[in-house]
Amino acid sequence: MSRDKKKKRPRLAREGFVGRLHYFTERALLNIRQNVLVNLITVGTISLAFLILSLFLLIYVNLERVTETWSERVQVTVYFDRELTSGEVASFSAKIRAVGGVSGIDYISRDEAMRRFAERLKGQEKLLQDVSPETLPSSLEIRLKRHMRESQAIGGFVARLKAVPGIGEVQYGEEWVERFSDFMAVVRFAGLLLGGFLVLAVVFIVANTIKLTIYSRKDELELMGLVGATRLFIKVPFLIEGILQGVVGAALALLFLLAAYALFLHNADFLLSFSQAAAGLVFLPPSQCALLLGGGALLGFLGSLTSLKRFITL
Amino acid sequence: MIELHNVSLAYQHDTPALNNVTLSIAKGEFALVTGVSGAGKSTLLKLIYAALRPTGGQVVVDGLNITGLPVSQIPRLRRKIGVVFQDFKLLPARTVLDNVALTLEVLGWGKHDINRKVYHILKQVGLEHKIKSTPLRLSGGEQQRVAMARALVNDPRIILADEPTGNLDEASKEKVLEILKEASIRGSTVVVATHDRRLMGDWCKRMIVLEKGAVVENANVA
Ligand SMILES: Nc1ncnc2c1ncn2[C@@H]1O[C@H](COP(=O)(O)OP(=O)(O)OP(=O)(O)O)[C@@H](O)[C@H]1O
Ligand SMILES: [Mg+2]
Repeated sequence: MSRDKKKKRPRLAREGFVGRLHYFTERALLNIRQNVLVNLITVGTISLAFLILSLFLLIYVNLERVTETWSERVQVTVYFDRELTSGEVASFSAKIRAVGGVSGIDYISRDEAMRRFAERLKGQEKLLQDVSPETLPSSLEIRLKRHMRESQAIGGFVARLKAVPGIGEVQYGEEWVERFSDFMAVVRFAGLLLGGFLVLAVVFIVANTIKLTIYSRKDELELMGLVGATRLFIKVPFLIEGILQGVVGAALALLFLLAAYALFLHNADFLLSFSQAAAGLVFLPPSQCALLLGGGALLGFLGSLTSLKRFITL
Repeated sequence: MIELHNVSLAYQHDTPALNNVTLSIAKGEFALVTGVSGAGKSTLLKLIYAALRPTGGQVVVDGLNITGLPVSQIPRLRRKIGVVFQDFKLLPARTVLDNVALTLEVLGWGKHDINRKVYHILKQVGLEHKIKSTPLRLSGGEQQRVAMARALVNDPRIILADEPTGNLDEASKEKVLEILKEASIRGSTVVVATHDRRLMGDWCKRMIVLEKGAVVENANVA
């Protein structure tokens, strides 16, 4: 058998890693163009799944923001039955800050307390007749960092605060804090449950639509093996295709959500009218958008990988 | 080039499709495997390109015992073998060009070389004007010749053709056989499976007759 053709063996088109990647990407894009309809359906399904997930995330993110503004009401007040000198204010402040978790401290003098009291009783000035600043306590109002604002953390904080010499009466809206903490626990649990459920649904939907794309081309997979393609050679274009489908699906979902947000959600004050602080909805932070896109890529990749296993016998 | 030693093959639960087959086909030989439908011709070819593993015996191809060949080595084996499948296995959505090019893409050829080579082989089978068609718009005989072109385009050492003249008229049959003959003259080992003994021309020196999975005739025709 004459093998004299060997000397004019053509130059390999995919030498080197970059050359290969280029070839495989080209192949994947060609595959997409040759199977436009199947790809449209796949990407459409994936983006629908991601739209539901990202809508849920959007709601959750905004709910968190609202509760954040609510929790700013949580503050610990230390009362004194006399006026503090500015030196005392400074030294107490330093000691309180040393307890940890403090985001700010304000001194409320007796005059200031009187002023606030008067403001609250506007229209009923008669009640103020017997009150003079001397009968009101002065106080230090302590604002807490976010993680200190819940029941258990705040309890510990107050206990440590009471150990500071010179500090006697400490108050915080205990009941309110407790209810707030319970509410947050419910929100987080429901969020986790629903979010987990949605993620599972998305994984299932994406994996199965991709399996359909690949199933529709099982003849091609078989033939590639029969003409001598290696497993890697067969797989890589499909993996790239899967990644593209996942990313494009997730990106379309985000674009759609962004459009919906820009059109009417961002000024949907009526949804949040119970809290003036939260004016309008915010969009997903970039980190979560990136997470969704990355999730799309990963799902596309894994979806293709597991489906390919079933159809490549090599 | 191709050796089978006491090869048996049974599909699950069935009576064996091949039973204790021993034969050897030399380099450059043109061999005809005949037998009635169901005799085991396709099965025999599938063993050679490792689409099936024998349940008994040994298969040696091009000096390599492929009986227990690791799966990762199969692509290398198949690159040496051009197969014309009984059912063609053309990709309906791809053009004739793409279908034939697949064999060369797998080998890593560049686009330019592929186009030139594919055009050349299509001209040989008389289909260069259909290069942009898709298989669905070709006649049965034309599809057969595309399948042939795909098998031959990389000048494989071994050509396995399963009923390559199955549904062709006399003229097309002649053409197909001519192409296979030329490949054989250029040095390829050619094995043609067919139920049609009349294909046996004077240039074909070797005939293997299968019956119910066993070799009943294995002759070098003078
Ligand atoms: N995938 C399979 N599973 C089970 N049995 C099979 C399978 N393929 C073939 N057979 C059986 O093996 C035997 C030989 O089949 P084979 O395809 O080799 O015949 P053949 O000689 O090529 O016939 P034909 O001329 O019709 O193509 C037949 O009895 C067939 O029913
Ligand atoms: Mg057959």
